[in-house]
Amino acid sequence: MSMVHYLLAAEGLNKSFDGFKAINDLNFVLEKGELRTVIGPNGAGKTTFLDLITGRTKPDSGTLHFEETHDLLRMNEYEIYRLGIGRKFQTPTVYTDHTVRENLLLSLAGPRSIWHSLFGRIRKEQEERMDEILHTIKLTERAHSKAGSLAHGQKQWLEIGMLLAQDAKLLLVDEPAAGMTDEETHRTGELLLSLAGKHTIVVIEHDMTFVRQISQGRTVTVLHQGHVLCEGPVDKVQNDERVIEVYLGRKSKAA
Amino acid sequence: MRVSYQPLSFHVGARRKVTGGDVPVARELLGFLTTMLRAPSRIVTGFGCRLRALIAGVALAHAAVLAEAVPAGSAKEIVAEAVVTLDADRQRELVGSLADTDPEEAALWIGKWKEGEIYLFQDAEGNDVAVLLEGEPDSAEKYGIVSLASGKPVTAPDGTAARATKDELYLADTDSGLRKVMKGVTDRIALASPDLKKRLQAVQDTGLEQDPSKLVLLEQRLAVEEEGRVKKALAEAMAMIRLRAEDPVVRQTAVAELGEMGSIAAQGAIKTVRGEAEKAGQVSLVAACDKAQKDIESHISRVNTVGTLFRGLSLGSVLLVVAIGLAITFGLMGVINMAHGELIVVGAYTTYLIQNLFAAGIHMSPFGLKISIPGMNLSGGAWDCYFLVALPASFLMAAGVGLLLERGVIRFLYKRPLESLLATWGVSMVIQQLFRLVFGANNVQVESPAFLSGNWTVNDIVFGWNRVFVIAFAVLIVFLTWAVLNKTSLGLLIRAVMQNRGMAACMGVRTERVNMMTFAFGSGLAGLAGAFLSQIGNVGPNLGQNYIVDSFMTVVVGGVGNIMGTVISALGIGMADQSLQQILGNPVLGKILVLGAIILFLQWKPSGLFATRSRSLD
Amino acid sequence: MNTPLAGKAPTILLAAVALFLVVVMPSLNAAGVVSDFTLNTWGKYVCYAILAIAVDLLWGYTGLLSLGQALFFSLGGYMLGMHLMLMIGKLGAYKSDLPDFMVFLGLKELPDFWQPFYSFPFAVLMVLAVPGLLAGVFGYLAFRSRIKGVYFSILTQALTYGAALMFFRNDLMMGGNNGFTDFRTLLGADLRSPEIKRALYIASAITLMLVFIGCKWLTTSRFGLIQRAIRDSENRVLFSGYSAANFKLFVFVISAVIAGIGGALYVPQVGIINPSEMMTEKSLEAVVWVAVGGRGTLIGPVLGAIGVNYLKSWATTEYPDLWLIILGATFVIVVLFLPKGLVGVPAQIKAMIDRRKALKKDRADDLAAINPSPEAE
Repeated sequence: MSMVHYLLAAEGLNKSFDGFKAINDLNFVLEKGELRTVIGPNGAGKTTFLDLITGRTKPDSGTLHFEETHDLLRMNEYEIYRLGIGRKFQTPTVYTDHTVRENLLLSLAGPRSIWHSLFGRIRKEQEERMDEILHTIKLTERAHSKAGSLAHGQKQWLEIGMLLAQDAKLLLVDEPAAGMTDEETHRTGELLLSLAGKHTIVVIEHDMTFVRQISQGRTVTVLHQGHVLCEGPVDKVQNDERVIEVYLGRKSKAA
Repeated sequence: MRVSYQPLSFHVGARRKVTGGDVPVARELLGFLTTMLRAPSRIVTGFGCRLRALIAGVALAHAAVLAEAVPAGSAKEIVAEAVVTLDADRQRELVGSLADTDPEEAALWIGKWKEGEIYLFQDAEGNDVAVLLEGEPDSAEKYGIVSLASGKPVTAPDGTAARATKDELYLADTDSGLRKVMKGVTDRIALASPDLKKRLQAVQDTGLEQDPSKLVLLEQRLAVEEEGRVKKALAEAMAMIRLRAEDPVVRQTAVAELGEMGSIAAQGAIKTVRGEAEKAGQVSLVAACDKAQKDIESHISRVNTVGTLFRGLSLGSVLLVVAIGLAITFGLMGVINMAHGELIVVGAYTTYLIQNLFAAGIHMSPFGLKISIPGMNLSGGAWDCYFLVALPASFLMAAGVGLLLERGVIRFLYKRPLESLLATWGVSMVIQQLFRLVFGANNVQVESPAFLSGNWTVNDIVFGWNRVFVIAFAVLIVFLTWAVLNKTSLGLLIRAVMQNRGMAACMGVRTERVNMMTFAFGSGLAGLAGAFLSQIGNVGPNLGQNYIVDSFMTVVVGGVGNIMGTVISALGIGMADQSLQQILGNPVLGKILVLGAIILFLQWKPSGLFATRSRSLD
Repeated sequence: MNTPLAGKAPTILLAAVALFLVVVMPSLNAAGVVSDFTLNTWGKYVCYAILAIAVDLLWGYTGLLSLGQALFFSLGGYMLGMHLMLMIGKLGAYKSDLPDFMVFLGLKELPDFWQPFYSFPFAVLMVLAVPGLLAGVFGYLAFRSRIKGVYFSILTQALTYGAALMFFRNDLMMGGNNGFTDFRTLLGADLRSPEIKRALYIASAITLMLVFIGCKWLTTSRFGLIQRAIRDSENRVLFSGYSAANFKLFVFVISAVIAGIGGALYVPQVGIINPSEMMTEKSLEAVVWVAVGGRGTLIGPVLGAIGVNYLKSWATTEYPDLWLIILGATFVIVVLFLPKGLVGVPAQIKAMIDRRKALKKDRADDLAAINPSPEAE
């Protein structure tokens, strides 16, 4: 019937570390423009999954394609990045010794060659783009401060801003709300929602309030022991017995 | 009369005097000079001797009587007799008869005769007497003189105990014919020596001489010999002598025998036989020689291979011993300790000190101070025990220095590995210079206990005891490390902290303390390595520098954080190094190739043989 | 900029240092105030300063601690040394066209690879190419397999060790243990005359300035940003789409070439080059200069190289026994207490004062908070 264009498709991925199966026959399909939230208990393989997509680790078996034609398993980190896959790490990873603006400058879409880094000039529209992003992530006033001096939440935003600067087709966001105040968490949610549609986003998250905020009407994927346990709207997932047992149930017991 | 001979005997006197000195170089030089001088001086003194005897009176009745029969005296008496005998044939006969006396005594006195320790003295009646010098020379360079035969002081013409300078006496000389007889006697004695090594050596020497007249001697020995190795050596020696047989058939059998034995010693002799056979057109003998040579060569290559493996194993063990401390401090803790080499040297100097304390004590003058530590003056087995004391002492000393280093420098730099590399390098420079100031810039020598010297030969392959010791030591030290890490509560803590510092801290482990203990343990192991290196080479301030690159390479190749990896990589590098040396015939080139190979190896396995793979949990 | 050199003061300092090195020193020498010996010694310092910049470009800016920069320095020196050896001609001890050590080794003919070194331009090309190529090949292998941090240091140490072992060998035909010495002329000029020595000094000082300016440009460009980004967070750089390996390789090669240039200027001035110059200790010594001066800045290494070597000249004559202890201890102290080196001291003091002030203010606030409370009660 109609052609469905997958942005990202993973089939039968397996990865084990010293006998521990971090990813176990994982199948995952992402359509263009989606905002997908991935949840799962500790050790479910969420971060490892992102590592596989971004080329940080290679799987033992399986396939992983981007835009159907690019085989991610045969590329290294920066080549994958150049396809338009950006990643925000679990702990904010910014260049602490650079200013906020320099952080964005280094992330701006454009040539990545040594030559360009030496002789390339910063175009006017690039300057404007940086201003725009600074505004979006609410860091205009801190543009010339060292990133290391930012508050934790601001670093998280800066990192998201860096993904925006690169014009990534696919944003992989690992626990953006970790360590944030409720206020900051809510604003991060809004930021992500405002990006949805323009970008395809995968958010990995623990905080269920946050998950509910960003996944209204959208698909949520539950990972368990490196395998997709179930997929569906957040309400449905939350009421799924298996999910309650392995994840939410365990959590409520602990509470 | 004597005065006129003075210049002649001057040679002898001068020679003796200098030989008495203890300077090795002088001794070697003298050895050379003596050989140069021996021939003329022998002739001259020999001549002088006879001339003098003639003047003193040829018609000495008792001398003529003695010439009739061989006396059944002790070796000493016979020698005393022979020394003064003028008739050369009679003299040889007497010396030859020594073979039937007590072998040790005979060898001793023949030795002294050859070495020029027996002199001639003319007693009151004008008779020559064989004498020995006794005691220290007095102010006039005169020595006491005792008769060789009786061991009693000799009386001078005036009735007092005789004293004389070396120049006033005459050296008991030997000529080539006599020396040949002496050699025959000593050979025979050596072949019967109760000491296995001496006996074996004598058999081998006899074989190399290829003197057909000795064949009988060897056969006699074979008939009574019980020791297997000597029997084998006898067979080889006899075959080698038979290579000189007239009959080509006998020669051919001998060649074939030697080939089968893989006799390395016979290689040259077989080549000679082959040359002669070719000239004489003895085709089958030539073929036999070729086959034998081939057999021997393949035997040699087998010996070399096993020897190389053995040396590789021992070199690997050395690497292992020096690297295992680093496998703890660098591998487990991630500290780049450039002063690791100096910790090794701390252990080595500790061993040196302990050794001196067990012996004569030590005098040092660091910073212009004079420090003298008296020693216990032990010797023999008690002295040998110093090593058993030195081992724990080296461990503790290096562990102590390591502890200071950790507390003073490294603990501030756990999160900055590159900086810890630099700071510890600074420390290593300071320690090195301190060594120089305290112990001097030159190497010092640590003598090994008796049980570490010597070797063990199997099938031409030499297994040096020190190399065997090296391997045993490595096994021991690996076991010790394994036991500490896996069987003690300290080990449990170490592993916990190294795997997850934060978690361990949360569980109430005092990570600071564990770091300290771990580093001290790794340093102590370096100290043990030092005690060990002092046994296989000299100790100097730069000793550690020679091993630092090797140790780091070993740990990196093995995979950081994995003791087993270090073990395998040390042995692997050791084997590779020795094999390349064997193949290339050049140690430096081999070493360079190994370094290159390591760099390429890390291309293939960047995190070493056994990567400790970790993953951050979700 | 984030260096403590922001503002005008550093520019003035820089200009002063440049003026002193390039103009004042040689003028004083020409006027007879500064002895030829002193000027020659300073020529050495200047070459060391070039090496120090090379080390800093790698370590201070990119976070790559190479223990092999002295190797590249020596290689540059060896390459020019080969030319100088051939220029000795028949003036050598053996009165032969061949360099003395070859006569000594019983060679009858010049080895083939020595032939082109009769040409000065070729030698200069090799000064740049040999260190650059070696760094290129080694760096390619090392960075491709993601060898970084201390592993990189250890591997460069192994490289240096292997190279030194090779140069110690006579059959490499590079002079073995004794290396090259007894140089006579360069481009027809007598290397032993004061004028030529002064000219060499000036050439070194100008080269230092050029290297300095080139590196300043490099490190303030976007390339410099990436360099420091690699130093601080290599993973992030990869996930920003830069091939960190290529950037590192580029810096490594540039640094090797700069070190090689330094070595080539050094050799005619000191008149000798041998394998002990390329040992790891020499590399580490250069790292000390950078650490003492202040890494991550360009003026730091220059001041560090000159300062430490000045100290060394003095200490090795006054306290020969203690020099190594002084150097080692200085190093430990700098690493522990002055991570930004001498150049960073003002900033460190300022930070300390700021912290004090903040603490005082906090205390004052606390007191203010405590004091009203009894009244409120």
